[in-house]
Amino acid sequence: MKLMRIGAVGLAVLLLGTACTAAKDTASKPGCDKVVTLNLLRAQDTPPAPSVLKDWEAAHPCIEIKVSEVPFGQLADKINVIAGSPTPPDVYTYDGPNTATYASRGVIAPMDAAITAAIRADIIPATIKEHTYEGRLYSPGIRQSALALIYNKDMLDKLGITPPDSLDKAWTWDQAIDAMRKCQVGPAGNAKVWGLAPTQSGNGTPGPSYVSLNFLRSAGDPKADQQSSLYKTFWALAPDGKTINGWLNTPEAARGAQIYQDIFNKYGISPKAGIPNAYADGKACFDIQQPSYIGKLLAPDATFKTGVTPLPYVTTPITQTGSLTLGVGARSKHPKEAAEFVMFVASGPEQLKNSQGDHSMPVLKSLFTQLPQYDSYPLAIYRNELEQWGQPRPPGPHYAQYDSIVTSAMRDIAYGGDVAATLDKAVKQFEQIAGKG
Amino acid sequence: MRRFKTYLTAAAFLGPFLLLLVIFQGWPLATMVRDSTRKFSFLNPDEATSVGLDNYRALLDDPMVVKSLQVTVLFSLGLVVLVIPLGLALALFVNQRFRGVKALRALIFTPVVTSVVVIATLWTFLLDPGHGLANTVLGAVGIDPQPFVTSTGQALPSLVVMTVWAQVGFAMILFLSGLQSIPGELLEAASIDGANPWQTFWRVKLPLLRRTTLFVVVIMTVFSFQAFAPAYVMTGGGPESSTVLFVYYIYQSAFTYLRAGYAEALSVLLMAIILVVSSVQLFLLRTKESS
Repeated sequence: MKLMRIGAVGLAVLLLGTACTAAKDTASKPGCDKVVTLNLLRAQDTPPAPSVLKDWEAAHPCIEIKVSEVPFGQLADKINVIAGSPTPPDVYTYDGPNTATYASRGVIAPMDAAITAAIRADIIPATIKEHTYEGRLYSPGIRQSALALIYNKDMLDKLGITPPDSLDKAWTWDQAIDAMRKCQVGPAGNAKVWGLAPTQSGNGTPGPSYVSLNFLRSAGDPKADQQSSLYKTFWALAPDGKTINGWLNTPEAARGAQIYQDIFNKYGISPKAGIPNAYADGKACFDIQQPSYIGKLLAPDATFKTGVTPLPYVTTPITQTGSLTLGVGARSKHPKEAAEFVMFVASGPEQLKNSQGDHSMPVLKSLFTQLPQYDSYPLAIYRNELEQWGQPRPPGPHYAQYDSIVTSAMRDIAYGGDVAATLDKAVKQFEQIAGKG
Repeated sequence: MRRFKTYLTAAAFLGPFLLLLVIFQGWPLATMVRDSTRKFSFLNPDEATSVGLDNYRALLDDPMVVKSLQVTVLFSLGLVVLVIPLGLALALFVNQRFRGVKALRALIFTPVVTSVVVIATLWTFLLDPGHGLANTVLGAVGIDPQPFVTSTGQALPSLVVMTVWAQVGFAMILFLSGLQSIPGELLEAASIDGANPWQTFWRVKLPLLRRTTLFVVVIMTVFSFQAFAPAYVMTGGGPESSTVLFVYYIYQSAFTYLRAGYAEALSVLLMAIILVVSSVQLFLLRTKESS
């Protein structure tokens, strides 16, 4: 019995010790009545940057930040596990389009009180839309994104191809594919230099909805009759966030998906397997990228010149927006301090530093006046796209599931699956999940 | 009194471990069964609502359950069918005495003690349709490049081959221990009776390895039903769900589709399947033993 008692006590001590490893407030620090520790969960190499944390610590010595990091691909899974744990983070770095998913399930707290009317008026409308759920704003946003087609200017100059440098002259996908085929070195499907680089999003294989859904939505038209499939195709999900039948699997969406499939199969201008840094290594003529990717490529000492042209379209130009952002944990024991931290990271000076560092676009409109590089080519392409073509990814409390299902479906289509059947299957799968929660 | 003391001593030794067993296995299992009758996601477990057997009814309407079971059974069959003869052949080979045999055994066994994720990542590079070593080798002998994990027809066989490579060392070690436990006098008697090596293998060694073989079958079957990393790392369950292993589908349901209660019901189903399959296999094992 004594042995059992010792064992039980030992186990209890072990469990208690484990529980206590979670960050807790330290008693004191010179100049502080009390030191508050905020747990921050983020993915590796994602905001807030170390320089931002240093600025915060200098300005707020009594509020410390304890950072937990996971690989980017595991961030959503980690949030899914840790949000319901006894020690959830005080602050989450998460993908902005997931706002409704997390808000509807009580993971993040609304920040209306911290986001003043003046700040709100300065935030890009797409960001407001992405971070709002049932009328409440859950994050001010820290950066925005748009996709454009970047190209190896040296290669295209040799071929006499000059891609458009303004939105009004943007290529259709047919025109872009034609240029990619001319530029490719080597046979279709087994090239030495590919026409279009494999995506760097997701796990590097085809399909990430952030990129691929542009093909489908672009085949729609937001100005068409609201009951028409052309209109529904553009939005790709009904406003209720649940109805997808007749929105994702329309004939127009299938046309966009067919173009996506042809890139990998009929024309063989993009590999089905991932190649890390294919474009940067000179193994591809074109790449679909965000502005934050091309900072080094635009540097004077880059090994080749990079140009930027608007994202090609089918019927209607579009670029899906949304980027990583910060949210306050709904179960944080320090919601005031956590909100203060989020607002600090989202403040003008910090966003400005971020944008100057990696070319990511700020969410505050006023900051563009201090970022002259976005007024002229090539970065103006991104800014103009964001302002004129930008659309949030289909919002709703089931976005996380939608994203995963569409990504899988588009990967299957890229691998050669039947386009219409694959879209229909994705629709059924999503409705089953959205209907049953 | 003496008997009581014996029981007490046994309880004192076993108690702590039984307690750990209850805490780390019994409790999670009971929680799993309880949660399989609830609707919730891991994001908000406090808001779980009881739904009775709805999650189990949903299993019947979900085509992915049947699909993932089919895939898992095929994966399991492929693994068992290939691992048994290969493991046995390797065991026969390394059961001989020659220079470097111990190093060779260790080399073949190395993948078993290597992380499955590392192995899956390695094979992802090997099977890369564009620049993988596999297609380079095929190209050298005049065979066209193969799509491997990007093809519905080749993705599952690719996972099977990878898993066979990773697990054959384990089967080899089990068969090797079986071979080395065969009494020498039986082999000697066979030799005196004039049996050639093939007859000795077929008539003496193989019948005596029956229990080992069944054990390998049980282990590999259970392992294949629990396989997750190959689908997660190499294929994401695709293309067109051709590699959606059952445990991968459980993972998807819980963490991607945020249906934790449903995933728990799937887990209970998997546990039941493994119990039945293992029981049948162990029954066969016991029957042979008694006969």
